[in-house]
Amino acid sequence: MELFLQTVIDGLLIGGLIIVVGIGFSLCFGVMHIVDFAVGEWVMLGAYIGFLFVRYLGHDPMIYLPIIFLIFCACGWAIYPLIFRAVSGKRHNPVLMGLVFTFGLSILAKGGALSVWGYHIQSITTWLSGKSISLDVATIPALRFAGFLFGILITVLFMIFLYRTNLGITIRATAQDREMANLLGADVRKVGAFVYSLYAGVTGMSGVLIGALFSIHATMGAKYCTLAFFVVVLAGMGYVPGVIIAALILGLLQSFVGVYIGGRYNLVALFMVMYGVLLITPKGILRKGI
Amino acid sequence: MSVVGERIKANSTALIWQWVFLGLIFLVSLIIPWIVSPLWVRIITEILMWAGLAQSWNIIGGYTGYLSFGHGAFFGMGAYVTGIAMMNLEWPFGVGLLLSGIMAALLAVVIGYPTLRLRGAYFAIATWAFGEMIRQIALILEITGGAFGMQLPAFLNLPFFYYVTLGITGLTYLTTYLLLERSRFGYKLLAIREHEEAAEMVGVDTVVIKMKAFALSAFFPGVFGGIYAYWVTYIHPDSVFGAIITDFMVVMAFLGGIGSLWGPFLGAVVVQLVNRILWLTWGEGTFYLVIIGAAICGVVLFIPNGIVGLLEARIFSPREALSQLRKMVKW
Repeated sequence: MELFLQTVIDGLLIGGLIIVVGIGFSLCFGVMHIVDFAVGEWVMLGAYIGFLFVRYLGHDPMIYLPIIFLIFCACGWAIYPLIFRAVSGKRHNPVLMGLVFTFGLSILAKGGALSVWGYHIQSITTWLSGKSISLDVATIPALRFAGFLFGILITVLFMIFLYRTNLGITIRATAQDREMANLLGADVRKVGAFVYSLYAGVTGMSGVLIGALFSIHATMGAKYCTLAFFVVVLAGMGYVPGVIIAALILGLLQSFVGVYIGGRYNLVALFMVMYGVLLITPKGILRKGI
Repeated sequence: MSVVGERIKANSTALIWQWVFLGLIFLVSLIIPWIVSPLWVRIITEILMWAGLAQSWNIIGGYTGYLSFGHGAFFGMGAYVTGIAMMNLEWPFGVGLLLSGIMAALLAVVIGYPTLRLRGAYFAIATWAFGEMIRQIALILEITGGAFGMQLPAFLNLPFFYYVTLGITGLTYLTTYLLLERSRFGYKLLAIREHEEAAEMVGVDTVVIKMKAFALSAFFPGVFGGIYAYWVTYIHPDSVFGAIITDFMVVMAFLGGIGSLWGPFLGAVVVQLVNRILWLTWGEGTFYLVIIGAAICGVVLFIPNGIVGLLEARIFSPREALSQLRKMVKW
């Protein structure tokens, strides 16, 4: 029973962090209809930038989170015109061009990281590392708990932004009907640029925490890319609130498979679940995807 | 059928020259192992293999318009099926190859069944995740040798592998030509790529056609995987299921020009030659990933129709080049 409770807690804590990776990704798909294959590479770069900050400037990685957010927002803002170019103009199939473009971006980022930092595995230590909160039935690792709180905080801010501000409403309108929103005066290109830079910032920031929790290496992106994909398929592509429940389910699934079957079956189990979801309810478990 | 007939008649003189040219290339390709050094036979065999792989990616990615980012999985699947057939069941190489192709095609049907009914993005995601998962499975299973890899019987006969690869690559291009450029099946695929809803409206059973195309495009990588396994004699999940195999197929098909018969071939020649020259001069490295990534992005941004598109626009005649270049590389 204790093991079971511990597994549930671990799963939920990891799920909280997965939300952050999935939420920007889902919004990005909803607004621009592009699957960003570089999502894992944003996580990887975020982790590396956090690592470099800690190594050369010292202090705790948590205090660099706002700076890293801004850095990645700027990166996203700079890259967006290229993506916009890839999906517009006289092309056969603009959406596919966007897919291939982000696929190329992810290879580029992975290759660059491998060339610069090599295959070495790095890690970030924070003042929370190794500490834990003991309860009667289970222990809560402090760093994972912080990651979970961070995830919840980001999600709440994200939701307030999307549902309570003018810009958020414009974004949701664009996601719902691009052409209509454009006719009603939303600058679709600017909305896209804003969403992409927001997504890059949030994902890069989550990378720092993921780097502190797990190890950092140049090929770690694929894992988080897969997770983000599974989250959006489970949530229904482009349906942002569904990400929360989907990420928690995936966190639990991962943690249960890891404890009761073995960590190396993780990807297989996740894929089976995704395959089942695509087979039975392709619009996600809440049937609200697009 | 009449449409096809007219198309052939209109281009008949050009076609005759094309066939003569192809025949010459075929004759030259037959004697290659006896006139160049073993290193170059090896490199040419690799180029042929990649040309076939890129073309098979092109069947689903270029002609149908559904991007498969897990195509390397079929290659690795083929390598392991041939390996298991030869080592554990002691079947001959040829049977192993056929079995590899069939297994890969069946796998494609399994993956395609839920995803090809949905929009292209789902298909891209599912194939990518599938590619990641199957490497994990190959590492876990006992029959594949897990992380130790698998050793096949050594058969050191370079010309043999050259001719086998030449034959299968030839078959890939012939199949593409006959099935996709010159048949109703090809036109149906084209209709799906250009406007899926419209194709559905005029009575094309889109899901079945797409599944057939995906199975066809998975069959050949399976066979190539088998040849590769027997050729290099040692296979490991990271080598035959590596993400880089899919990356190469995508970059070759895109650089050459997707949806065209000769595009993937040109792309394979250019990319693999550059890759080998880099390898011969600088040795192993990871920098080629940067080049591949940048090449994919650059092609998508500036020459979406690839080298074939450039050739068709007569970009290589100096007069046309300038005006065309102004049009294409406009920001």
